[in-house]
Amino acid sequence: MTARWFPDEMPTPAASAETAGWWEAASRHRLVVQRCDQCGRTRHPPGPVCPSCRAVTSDWLELPGTGTVYTYTVVHQAFVPALADRLPYVVIAVELDGATGARLVSNLVDAAPEDVEVGLPVEVVWEDMGPELALPRFRPAGVAPSAPAGARSEGTR
Amino acid sequence: MTPRARAACLVGVGETRYAKWGGIPDASEYQLATEAILAAVADAGLSVDDVDGLASFAEDRNDATFVAADLGLPELRYASLSWLPGGGGACAAVANAAMAVETGAADVVVVYRSLCQGQFRRFGRGPGNAPARPGRASVPHVRRARSLLDAHVAFTMPFGMFSPPIAYAMVLRRHMHKYGTAPEHLGQVAVTTRGHAARNPRAVMGARPMTLDDYFSSRLVSEPFRLFDCCLENDGACAVVVTTAERAADAARPAVQIVASAQGAPQGFGHGQYCNVGMPDDDYASAGARGVAARLWARAGLGPKDVDVAQIYDHFTGLVLLSLEDFGFCDVGGGGPFAASGALAWPDGALPINTHGGSLSEAYIHGLNHVVEGVRQLRGESTCQVENAETCLVTSAAGVPTSALVLGRP
Repeated sequence: MTARWFPDEMPTPAASAETAGWWEAASRHRLVVQRCDQCGRTRHPPGPVCPSCRAVTSDWLELPGTGTVYTYTVVHQAFVPALADRLPYVVIAVELDGATGARLVSNLVDAAPEDVEVGLPVEVVWEDMGPELALPRFRPAGVAPSAPAGARSEGTR
Repeated sequence: MTPRARAACLVGVGETRYAKWGGIPDASEYQLATEAILAAVADAGLSVDDVDGLASFAEDRNDATFVAADLGLPELRYASLSWLPGGGGACAAVANAAMAVETGAADVVVVYRSLCQGQFRRFGRGPGNAPARPGRASVPHVRRARSLLDAHVAFTMPFGMFSPPIAYAMVLRRHMHKYGTAPEHLGQVAVTTRGHAARNPRAVMGARPMTLDDYFSSRLVSEPFRLFDCCLENDGACAVVVTTAERAADAARPAVQIVASAQGAPQGFGHGQYCNVGMPDDDYASAGARGVAARLWARAGLGPKDVDVAQIYDHFTGLVLLSLEDFGFCDVGGGGPFAASGALAWPDGALPINTHGGSLSEAYIHGLNHVVEGVRQLRGESTCQVENAETCLVTSAAGVPTSALVLGRP
């Protein structure tokens, strides 16, 4: 298992026919984005039709996992009770390198909340929530790797 | 053109008592919906026997079909639910009712909203990973989506972007980054509208005055939003009656004109910033209402300078600034300084807004109470009455596909 930052009690994702491929790639620690195989437009969240050329076929483009913080918020309220001892936490929208117009909502980890700013370069780090669920979080690009697996694993039970 | 006799107007408004979250334990949300409808019909001087249409907007738990049956409508000829999410559809529901009476599909349509948040699971908690057994969460995994929305919020909720204040705090952060909007600007909206609520006996927060110091003392929820940047959570219901000018002539109250309406969203805006952050940058840091505003002003033959008073949807202080920009009351990025100038305050500001106190201080009825207040202003009955008000703008929620109305004096 990878390092853990968020508790098991976080909402679990639900997949549709259009989005299942994204979650399946994530489970293998591959950060992908849906790409129209006709005009090349990338889009997120995944959908059944290209909004530009209306082609109904697409593939998954694997991304380098780097990007910059587009916007963010530091959350001080535990909307899920299990978050109470992990406040504050940082939610970011990431402008992903290699995928024009496809931003991702995620978290900044391995950084103090006051270090987050618009434009901060970040890189993906995976959190295994379970054997079949991994979520991409982000840390400031180029910082030392996270604590060893299990060091912050109070949520893994 | 609609024949003049069938031009749609608003002839009645009604509401139940408004109380803080869980403050109405003795009546169901559905019961309050019916009470508000009866009050609005009585205000219009009409009978339920005159009502032949019902309208509301997305996520309404109180189906029009049951309402029609339980109120004993002689015949239900029109029922509609706007798709615009959350608070985006209040003005659209009125517009849909107006289209129904103007086309002759119905003659008297009541638009209603009831929201007893104390009676249901708290909004924004997220679905959570419910324990399979007490005290033990199940192993996190990917579920099968129950709806399109379920599949979309899968890309936000597992990352702790559960609730609207978190999603829209991110919009405001981007706006601050681009334009220099400051926390004081947000506080000005909260303090100004709280001042308006102090004169309104219906307002949930009417007896709770607020200074800018009080605002800055309130706890942080999701930066830059503090508690007092966020709308109320409460119990209550309201309704408005839409009919034709011809029928309005017999009504008990002066008929407020529905001068123009518009609804929609720009390309790529999706369901709004709550579950899509990929729209063009200019749209992300906006209310998403520029197209709605352009069509509204064109249909009305009016512009922002013609507006005497406005009821601007205020789920969050900062989004009021974005709506003011989108509807052209100030330049893009200029919403903060415009608010700080005192423009929004009754009675002396250039554009008094939310003269009832809004969702921040009167009640959070998904903005249908903003339509009610618009009608009161044009009848000369507001508790913060703008002298000789002839034109009122009413907007629905920023940050989702939305709608707006221009209302005119009887």
